[in-house]
Amino acid sequence: MNYLLTTLTKKQEVDSMIRDTIDKVLVLCFGRASDSIFLQLDEILYKSVREVSKFATVALVDIDSDDVQVYVKYFDITLIPSTVFFFNAHHMKMDCGSADHTKWVGTFLRKQDFLDVVEAIYRGAMKGKLIVTCPLPPDRIPKFHLLYEDV
Amino acid sequence: MPIQNPNPNKKKKKHSNQDDDEDDTVQGKQQTQFEFCKVCRLNHNQGRRHIYFPNHKKALSSFLYRFQSKFKNDVAFYLKKPMPLRPEHAALNRLWCVFCDFDILEYDSSFACGNAIAHLASAEHLKGLKSFLWKYGGGMDRMDSFRISESDFTKWEKKCKLLKSEAAGGGSHGSLIGPLNDIHNESKSEYVNSFDKNKLDCLTSDVKCSNSVVPLQDHTIERSQISHSKICTVGPQILHAGTGVGLGARTPNGLPGFFGNQHYTHSVPKEGPAYSCPNDGKVYPYEGIAIGDGHSQGTSSEESRLQTQENGGGNVHSGAPPPWFSAAEKIQLDNKLNQGLGDLVSSLGEQMKTSKLNPKRVGAAWAERRKIELELEKRGELVRHDFGADWLPNFGRVWQSGSRKDSRKEFLGENKTWRKVDSQIEKPSQLQPYISKRMRTENTAE
Repeated sequence: MNYLLTTLTKKQEVDSMIRDTIDKVLVLCFGRASDSIFLQLDEILYKSVREVSKFATVALVDIDSDDVQVYVKYFDITLIPSTVFFFNAHHMKMDCGSADHTKWVGTFLRKQDFLDVVEAIYRGAMKGKLIVTCPLPPDRIPKFHLLYEDV
Repeated sequence: MPIQNPNPNKKKKKHSNQDDDEDDTVQGKQQTQFEFCKVCRLNHNQGRRHIYFPNHKKALSSFLYRFQSKFKNDVAFYLKKPMPLRPEHAALNRLWCVFCDFDILEYDSSFACGNAIAHLASAEHLKGLKSFLWKYGGGMDRMDSFRISESDFTKWEKKCKLLKSEAAGGGSHGSLIGPLNDIHNESKSEYVNSFDKNKLDCLTSDVKCSNSVVPLQDHTIERSQISHSKICTVGPQILHAGTGVGLGARTPNGLPGFFGNQHYTHSVPKEGPAYSCPNDGKVYPYEGIAIGDGHSQGTSSEESRLQTQENGGGNVHSGAPPPWFSAAEKIQLDNKLNQGLGDLVSSLGEQMKTSKLNPKRVGAAWAERRKIELELEKRGELVRHDFGADWLPNFGRVWQSGSRKDSRKEFLGENKTWRKVDSQIEKPSQLQPYISKRMRTENTAE
């Protein structure tokens, strides 16, 4: 619990985070602290924050807080942990081979994977692309099934 | 055989006469007739757009800079110090006024750059200047650097009159012989004046006077100049060597001091320091020597004096400005011109940052706006206003099919319906005991 990164609990905090991160990738991770996978993700993020600090900012968002439920619905977050990427207040999509391009579901297997993903997002964003392809091989991407499909 | 039109626009015009006017009046897309841009030396059909193109702006800055340098070097100098113009130098003292497209000749003027100054102060020139700047977009605030104000002109005229009256009164070159002794007082200024007249040649031919790049006036001058320089540098040795280094030409007048003190007749006490070279080993400015010789050789020696003075007189010991000073003025000019253009073209420090980041990156426009907002907030000019609780970022939803704006609207719409549903659910929470109709009617009847 001590090593959790900056956790945001209010919509206003999230808003200011999104609006004030200029020309840098914003990594927003939604989850709850009791989840072990979320904690593992946090561990990896914590190790890499400094290394990507020049082109990315990382923040965690607590799903259980009421204020943030708007965002939970807006971003269609159903599986925990989910990571959403922003660049200059624009949402960046990533095609990882799964059905959902809007977010990254699950944790990263290695720190290097996370760095690769953030770098791919940054490069795409700098070129003006709103959607990028995942640089990781499919075996390193955590698999999940989209809930409420065809509902 | 019909002549083919090189200009495709003209073809269009031929086809439909009705569209003739439309073509000319439609701005931006359809080009107009070809015109010649004097600055870029280019025929273009861009109309008024052409002056805002970066190539034109570059060409304009160099164009104006060239004229301004001529203006400053020649005309502005003579504006401050008017001096009589000699006929042989008149041919070199021409100026082409780029704004009026007009060559200013000085054959009939009595003062250096007289006609040029008169033209630059005139109203016609001002007109021409204005129309040029309007046509080629030079920036109307710089007009004054290309013309002479009336006050300056009247001052110049007064100075000219004074000079004329002086010239009528005392001799001009005769005075050279007189106070040879006083190198350091105003008679020297006369030398300086006449030297600067010869400076004309250097300047109009765009050659700064220096040892190596002097235009040949006369063979003897060159030799004398070399001999001067050699003498001064080899000062101490000459006495010992006793041989003249190219002194052959000079023997009639001689460089008396170097061969002992016998020929001190026209050398003067003040030239003493020059002759102390051998003793001190110092290389003194050869002013003394030059002046000692000048009176006998007339103009040629003046010119040599000019050159030597330029080199030797412009000395740390004499307190003259360093040779790079004129270069510094040019650099200043350059900077000013560049600044002027810079302000026209782009904004301040943000130019540096935006030029590095890709302008096509995601959310570039938003980022720029946000940066400006943050800066203003820092300075305290803009009061920070919260975007409201309902602000949502640009997000592409999972099951969306339209644009991201649509997805946001969709979401907001969904949100409202949820809220309504929530509020409706809350209403029927109160439980009441059942009262039959008969009971109710009995109550009301009573």
